[in-house]
Amino acid sequence: MDTFAQLLVGGLLTGLVFALVAVGLTLVYGVMDVVNFAHGEFLMLSMYAALGLALIGIGPLLGLPLVAIALFLFGIVVYRVFIRRLLAGPSEATVFGTFGLLVLLQGAAQATLTSDFQSVPNPPLQGTIHLGPIALSQATLVEGIGALVLTASLFAFVEYTETGRAMRALAEDRVAATLMGIDVQRVNGLAFGIGAACVGAAGSLLMLSYPVYPTAGAPFALTAFVVVALGGFGSIQGALVGALLVGLLEVFGGFYLAPELKMVPVYVAYLAVVLLRPQGLLGRR
Amino acid sequence: MSSLLEVRGLAKRFGSVRALDGVDLDVAEGSLTGLIGPNGAGKSTAFACIAGAEKPSAGSVRFRGREIAGTAYHRVAALGIGRTYQLVQTFADMTVLEAVTTGALLRRARLRDAIAHAQEILAFVGLAEKRYRLGRALTVADKKRLEVARALATEPTLLLLDEVMAGLTPAECGAAVELLRRILARGVTVLMVEHVMEVLMPIAEHVVVIAAGKTIFSGTAAGAVRDAGVIEAYLGSPLEHGEIAGHAP
Amino acid sequence: MTARPHLYALGAIVVLGLLAAFGVRDAVVLDLVFTLLLYAVLGQSWNWISGYAGNISFGHAIFFGCGAYASALCVTHGLTPWLAIPAGALAAAALALVTGFPTLGLRGHYFSIATIAVAALVETFARTTPWLGKANGFELPIASGWAALQFPQKGPYVVLALALFAAVQLATIALERSRLGYYLRALRANHAAAASVGIDERRCKLIAFAWSATMASAAGVLYAQYTLFIDPPSTLALAISIDIALIGVVGGIGTLWGPAAGALVYVVLAKAVALRFGGAGKGYDLVIYGAIICLIAALRPYGIVGTIVDAIRRRRGSIAVGPGAAAETPA
Ligand SMILES: Nc1ncnc2c1ncn2[C@@H]1O[C@H](COP(=O)(O)OP(=O)(O)OP(=O)(O)O)[C@@H](O)[C@H]1O
Ligand SMILES: [Mg+2]
Repeated sequence: MDTFAQLLVGGLLTGLVFALVAVGLTLVYGVMDVVNFAHGEFLMLSMYAALGLALIGIGPLLGLPLVAIALFLFGIVVYRVFIRRLLAGPSEATVFGTFGLLVLLQGAAQATLTSDFQSVPNPPLQGTIHLGPIALSQATLVEGIGALVLTASLFAFVEYTETGRAMRALAEDRVAATLMGIDVQRVNGLAFGIGAACVGAAGSLLMLSYPVYPTAGAPFALTAFVVVALGGFGSIQGALVGALLVGLLEVFGGFYLAPELKMVPVYVAYLAVVLLRPQGLLGRR
Repeated sequence: MSSLLEVRGLAKRFGSVRALDGVDLDVAEGSLTGLIGPNGAGKSTAFACIAGAEKPSAGSVRFRGREIAGTAYHRVAALGIGRTYQLVQTFADMTVLEAVTTGALLRRARLRDAIAHAQEILAFVGLAEKRYRLGRALTVADKKRLEVARALATEPTLLLLDEVMAGLTPAECGAAVELLRRILARGVTVLMVEHVMEVLMPIAEHVVVIAAGKTIFSGTAAGAVRDAGVIEAYLGSPLEHGEIAGHAP
Repeated sequence: MTARPHLYALGAIVVLGLLAAFGVRDAVVLDLVFTLLLYAVLGQSWNWISGYAGNISFGHAIFFGCGAYASALCVTHGLTPWLAIPAGALAAAALALVTGFPTLGLRGHYFSIATIAVAALVETFARTTPWLGKANGFELPIASGWAALQFPQKGPYVVLALALFAAVQLATIALERSRLGYYLRALRANHAAAASVGIDERRCKLIAFAWSATMASAAGVLYAQYTLFIDPPSTLALAISIDIALIGVVGGIGTLWGPAAGALVYVVLAKAVALRFGGAGKGYDLVIYGAIICLIAALRPYGIVGTIVDAIRRRRGSIAVGPGAAAETPA
C-alpha cells in the first residue's frame, strides 16, 4: 500500500513536470496548427540558459523570469524569420521544417557546449519532505507547484485577456478571425513567443533536478507530444490531464515492468487513444 | 415508383448548433429532385450526412433499401452516391484529366481503362479540350463542371449537386441545365440544391423545402411557391418565378 | 505520361553502376557508390509514405533496422541470409501497420508523433533484449559466396545495391502510373474530395507505408551483409532517421528522382563534413543538415527535383509532367 501511495504521488509529480513542458506546445498548436518538433530543443536551450545564469550566481528560481523573457524574444524571432515562411508552404513543410530546427539546435549545442552532462552547482532544494510514508524531493515538489501555476496562468491568459481571446478566435476559425480584423501574424508571433516563454520557465525549474546536455530536451518533448495528443491538441486543460496520466503510466510502468520499459505503456496508451478517441481525452471535434 | 433514397428524421448537431433537426426526403429512381431552403437551412449539411462526410446524430438514410447512415464516406461513394461541393474542392495539382481519372478508378482497376472512361466523361461534360489544364487554373464554371465530371466518373446511381449554378452567368446556367438533362438521360438520379426557382421549376418533378433543419414541404415546385409555410420560411416574401433567396456566401 | 525517359535514365544508371562494379578496383570509390545507392533506396522508401502519401516519418531507421537485425539473426542462427529478406520485410511491414493503423486515417500530426514514439520504443527494445544483442549488437561470422550473401570484394555488393535501387525505382514508376499512385496524390491534394470519389485513406496509406517499410528493410539486409556489424546506433538510432528524412526532403518530396538526387547531395556533404570536422562531426554535421532542412522547408518545400519539375511545368504552360511533383506553394 505504501509503495502504491509513493508511486501514485511520484507519478502525479512526474506528470506535473511533463505538463510544464507540454502547455507551451499545445498553445502553439492550438493557435497556428503547428506541432513544433523543435520544442524539446527550446527546452534544452533554456536549461543551458538557466545553467549559465547559475554559474554567475543567479540560481534557477531567481533566473526563471530572465530565461522566460529571453525565450519569449527568441520565440518571436524564430516565428518572424522561419515559422511564418513554413506556414505559407504545404502542410508538410511545418513538419519537416521544425524538425530541421531540432537537428540544427541539437547540433549547435553539441558543437559549442560539448555533449557532457552539466548540472547547476550546489542546487537549492535538495532535501526530502516526508508525508507519512511518502517521501518527496523538494525540487520535484517545487517543479510540480510551478507547473500548476504556469498552467493556471496560461489558462487565465487565454480565457480572460484580449490577446488570449484573439488567440482563441484564431484557433476557432482562421478565416473568420481575419475578417474580424485580427492581425494573424502578430497573434501567431505572440503565441509562439509565449509558448517559448513557458518552455523557458520549464527549463529553469527542471535545472533544479535534471542535468542538461544537447539532447536533454528530446525525451521531455517526446513525452510532451504524446501528452498533447492525449489531452487533445490545443487544449490547455487537456495537456494537464494528459500529463498526469502519462506521469502515472510512466512511474507505474517503470516499477511493474522494468525501468527501461517505462515508456511502453505511455506509447501504447497513445496509440490506443488515437485509435479510439482521436480528438484526445478533452479535445473537441 | 420506388424510392432510391429515403431519409427519415435526419438530425445533426455541431456542439450546441442544431444544423438538422428532422429532415425527411424521398428521391424517386430516375428523377430530378430539388432541395431548397433559406441560407443556413441545413441543405449542405443534409448532403454531407447523406454522403457520409458527416455522421448524422440521429435518423435514418436508406439508399436502395439499405441503411447507410453513419457509413464511412468512401464506402458511400462506392455504394453509388456521388456528390459535388458547394465550395468547389478540386485536386489543385492534378490536371483535369487526372482528376476525372481518379474518379473513374473507383470502378476500374486498370489505369488505361480509367483514362479512357475519363476521356469519355470529359467529352460528355464538355471539358475535353481543357483536359491538360491544372484544376486550380480553371474558371469557377469549369471547376464546377470538373466536380460534376469527377463525380460522374465514379458511375453513381445518385448524384448530389450542391448549388452547381451559383455564380454562373446566364449563358453558363443554360449550358448547365442542358448538361443536367443529359445526365438524367444517362439514367443517373439527381438530388440538387438550387436557389433559383426559375432553374428548378422546369426540370424538377419534385421539390423538398427545408428550413431551420426541418422538412417543411414536399411536393411539386409549383406547389412549393404557393405553400404558406414555405412563404413564411422565406420571410413572407412573395414567391413567383424569381429567386427565392439570396445567394449563399 | 510516358515512362520512357525515366526508364532510359534508369538504364543509363544501371550501366554506369555495372561498369563501376566490374571496372573499378578502388575500394573507396566502390564504397561510395554502394552507400549512394543504399541511401537512394532509403530515401525512396521514405518518399513513398512521406512524399507521395504526405505523412512525414521521423522513425524510418527502424524499418532499415528490421532488415539489418533479420540478417544478423538469420546468419548467427545458421540460416541463410536470403531468408532475412522476407523475414525483415514482414517485421518491418508489421511495425508499419502497428504505427500506421491508428494514425494514418487522421488529420493532423498523429502519424509523425507515432513514428518518433515507436522508433524510440524499438530502439529501447533492441538495446535491452538479450536475443537482439542488447547494446552490443551483432558481429556476423565471415563467409563467402552468393549463398552466404557475402563477398571478399565490394563489386558484387554494388551489383546487389544496383539491383535493389533499380527495383525500387521501377516500383515507383509503376506507383505513379497506378491506382494507388493516383489515390495518394488525390489524398494529398484534398482528402475530403478524395473520399467523395471512394478513396479509403487509411487503406491506401497503409499499403504505401507497408511497401515503404519493406524497401527500407531490404536495404537493411544488404547493409548488414556489407558491414558485417550492426548495433542500435548504426541501424536504429534517431540519427539514421534524420539522414533518411534529409535525403527525402533535399531531393524533393513526392518526386521519382528526388531521393536519388538527395542521396547524391547527402553523400557529398557527409564526406565534406567528415573531411573538415573529423569522423564524428562533433555536431557540425547536424548543424549543416538541420540548416539545409530548414532552408528547403522555408524556401523550396518541394526540393531540388520538385523545383525543376515546376520550372518545366511553367514553361509548358500548366501541363502536368508526372504525378507527385506538385510544385507551387499555395499563397
Ligand atoms: N461544421 C460545422 N460546424 C458548426 N456549424 C455548422 C457546420 N456546418 C454547418 N453548420 C451550421 O449548420 C447550419 C446549416 O448549414 P448548411 O451549410 O447546411 O446550410 P445551407 O442550407 O447549405 O446554407 P446555404 O444556403 O448558405 O448553403 C448553419 O447554421 C451552419 O452555421
Ligand atoms: Mg449550402
